[in-house]
Amino acid sequence: MESVTGLLARWLHLVSSILVVGGAATLLLAGPSDRPTARRWEAWILRGCWTFVLVALASALIAVAAQAALLEGRAGAALEPAALARFLLQTQGGTVWLVRGGLLILLAAFLAVRLEVRDRTDWRAARGEVALLGLLALGLIAGASHAAAVEPGTAAAIAADVLHLAAAGVWVGGLAPLALLLHLASREAGADARPYAVLAARRFSRAALAVVLVLIASGSWNTWLQVGSVSALLGTPHGRLLVAKLAVFAAMLVLAVINRRLIPRLSRAAEIGRPAMQRLGRLVIGEAALALLVMGLVAVMSVTPPARHAEPTWPLSFRYSLDNLVAAPDLKSQVLVGSQVAVLGVVAVVAALLLPWLRLAVAAVGVAVVVAGLAVAVPPLVSDAYPTTFQRPATPYHASSIADGRAIFTQRCAVCHGERGAGDGPAAASLNPRPPDLRAHHVALHTAGDIFWWITRGKPPMPAFGETLGADARWNVVNYVRALSAADAARLLGPTVQPDKAWLVAPDFNFAVGPTPPRALKDYRGRKIVLLVLYTLPASRPRLVQLAENQGLLGTLDVEIIAVPTDAAPDAIRRLGADPPLFFPIVTDGAREIVDTYRMFSPAPHAEFLIDRQGYLRAIAAASDDATRDPNLLVAEVQQLNTEKTPPPPPAEHVH
Amino acid sequence: MRAWKVVLLLNLALVLGVSWGYLWWGRQARTLQRDLAAARVAAATTGEREYHVTGVVRAGLEDLGLLVVTHGEIPGYMPAMTMGFRTASPKIVESVKVGDAVRFTLRGTPPNLAITAIEKTAP
Repeated sequence: MESVTGLLARWLHLVSSILVVGGAATLLLAGPSDRPTARRWEAWILRGCWTFVLVALASALIAVAAQAALLEGRAGAALEPAALARFLLQTQGGTVWLVRGGLLILLAAFLAVRLEVRDRTDWRAARGEVALLGLLALGLIAGASHAAAVEPGTAAAIAADVLHLAAAGVWVGGLAPLALLLHLASREAGADARPYAVLAARRFSRAALAVVLVLIASGSWNTWLQVGSVSALLGTPHGRLLVAKLAVFAAMLVLAVINRRLIPRLSRAAEIGRPAMQRLGRLVIGEAALALLVMGLVAVMSVTPPARHAEPTWPLSFRYSLDNLVAAPDLKSQVLVGSQVAVLGVVAVVAALLLPWLRLAVAAVGVAVVVAGLAVAVPPLVSDAYPTTFQRPATPYHASSIADGRAIFTQRCAVCHGERGAGDGPAAASLNPRPPDLRAHHVALHTAGDIFWWITRGKPPMPAFGETLGADARWNVVNYVRALSAADAARLLGPTVQPDKAWLVAPDFNFAVGPTPPRALKDYRGRKIVLLVLYTLPASRPRLVQLAENQGLLGTLDVEIIAVPTDAAPDAIRRLGADPPLFFPIVTDGAREIVDTYRMFSPAPHAEFLIDRQGYLRAIAAASDDATRDPNLLVAEVQQLNTEKTPPPPPAEHVH
Repeated sequence: MRAWKVVLLLNLALVLGVSWGYLWWGRQARTLQRDLAAARVAAATTGEREYHVTGVVRAGLEDLGLLVVTHGEIPGYMPAMTMGFRTASPKIVESVKVGDAVRFTLRGTPPNLAITAIEKTAP
């Protein structure tokens, strides 16, 4: 975990980098002036920029040392030149710090040199250079941020982050300089600079509007990349920090809107304008203070794992799910009508803003219609939810996990739930409510995390297993329950491939042939179609010989045959004999788990499973089907898979 | 010197410096890649090589002097697969049966490799 020192250094670095950019940008916006107070302000800003560049450099040193200590895993490394050099020269983050450090040193030198400024061109060049170097140093932070770790689309993510940082620099960094100008000009002695201050405030306000739009757009894009879902937003530390940041940002926007309304009052007669100027100055200071808070949150976020890559803990007892409509199609019309009514309400509200009269009344009616529409549309979408609802299984959907889950299920769950999860165990009759049929379609509507929660905490009359079973064991039971439900759904699959319909994920498995290192079904993903053959001798022999004769043809069609003996004999290859020779992989290690798992999908002594390139189970043929007698039928199914134009997306490693 | 001239020179220097750094970095990366590829080719082609491989016998074609083996990855040569290898003597084919787990020695100048020795690793 990042040390407090490192975090403070990051915050200080961000604040000072942003202030440099903001100071230079505000100067550029306000333009040159020959009024004494304005020139005094300009000198202050330039000196401020110089100071903040030095602060940024110093805090960068501390942040780099803290980062090196973090990478080496010991606090002492922060002061070791070798460790620092390793971090700076051999990691992308270090290189970015190095380049930015160089830019900041250049900027400090540029600000320290007294330049000959004769006309507007000179002035613009000199101040513009400060802004340019500052923006470069600030924007490059993106190269060492979470955005640089986004794949694919790294360049787009970094570009969005650069825009976000630059926009933050111009707007947020410009608040303090502007407040200073307003304060100077509102004093008795600063009367000469009042027109200049009014002009600066007006230009800043106009630029801020555009900049805030950029901030919102690039921030939304970043949020999609780093967070990506409501569960990650509300359920992870990174997501919750973002919510806090957005709340503070919203408060800043409210202040900004109030400030915008004050600006026209500045241009009235000087004496009337003065109180407005003081007030505006104070409000801008308030905005800047909130910005400091935002940057603190940003510093913490930059060292928190992105929400997308963290396991969310759902904070609410409910969630919304469109899947509910799949289970209850009769509710679809209710949701549809409700949402249409709500859209109508939104249209009314928007129309109200454009109306010359009756604005308030129309808007009120619109809001009422929106509320009524949502009241109709939303209730059918509500599902119960638990802290683990959106968590992904800690163990993958894999034959070994399913086999382990099955053993636990048989031992602890089958008494009530029944051996196959049908809710027909010996003890089921005495329970109220009766255990449900776990194979039923509605099970698929619950997330793996839901089932995990019930197993962990119990669901009366079911006891809690959180104390007696480890987390991995509970996830294995979840995988077994998922496999039960999937196996039930697999009845819809026949020996022929349904074109472009991939929905049943084939459980992954490991297998080995003889003493060779184990391979996994997943290794074929994206490369080959797999024909998984569960065979029983002697009945399956003719078919195996047939497959061997066609192995060449099937190979050219990108099919790998994997044969698994249903008796899981370790000497399966020898038992098949030398005549005729079979060259496809015969599983001698891992067969037991594969057979146990895939027999749930087809219990026949000889069964063939056609698995497409993305890892979906597409066809299941048993010994009794013609498909396991005529090789041409198999070739036809494979051709069908090969002609599918749009390959289905790879299945997620998790359920939802 | 006037400010705009200073700024112009500074930016020119910055652009030149950054592009020089970028080009230098690109050249460095290319040189590294070329060296690596050359080293790989040299390692793969020069001279006689010897590999120790584990696998399982799938078929023995005595009249061709071939042994078909499902083997694990042969580092630096080929991935795991089932394929036939030439044998240095007919005795090697005779000494094993289908289904035997074996460890064998492949020797020769790629791609002309032959099994020169074989032993069973499990009964």
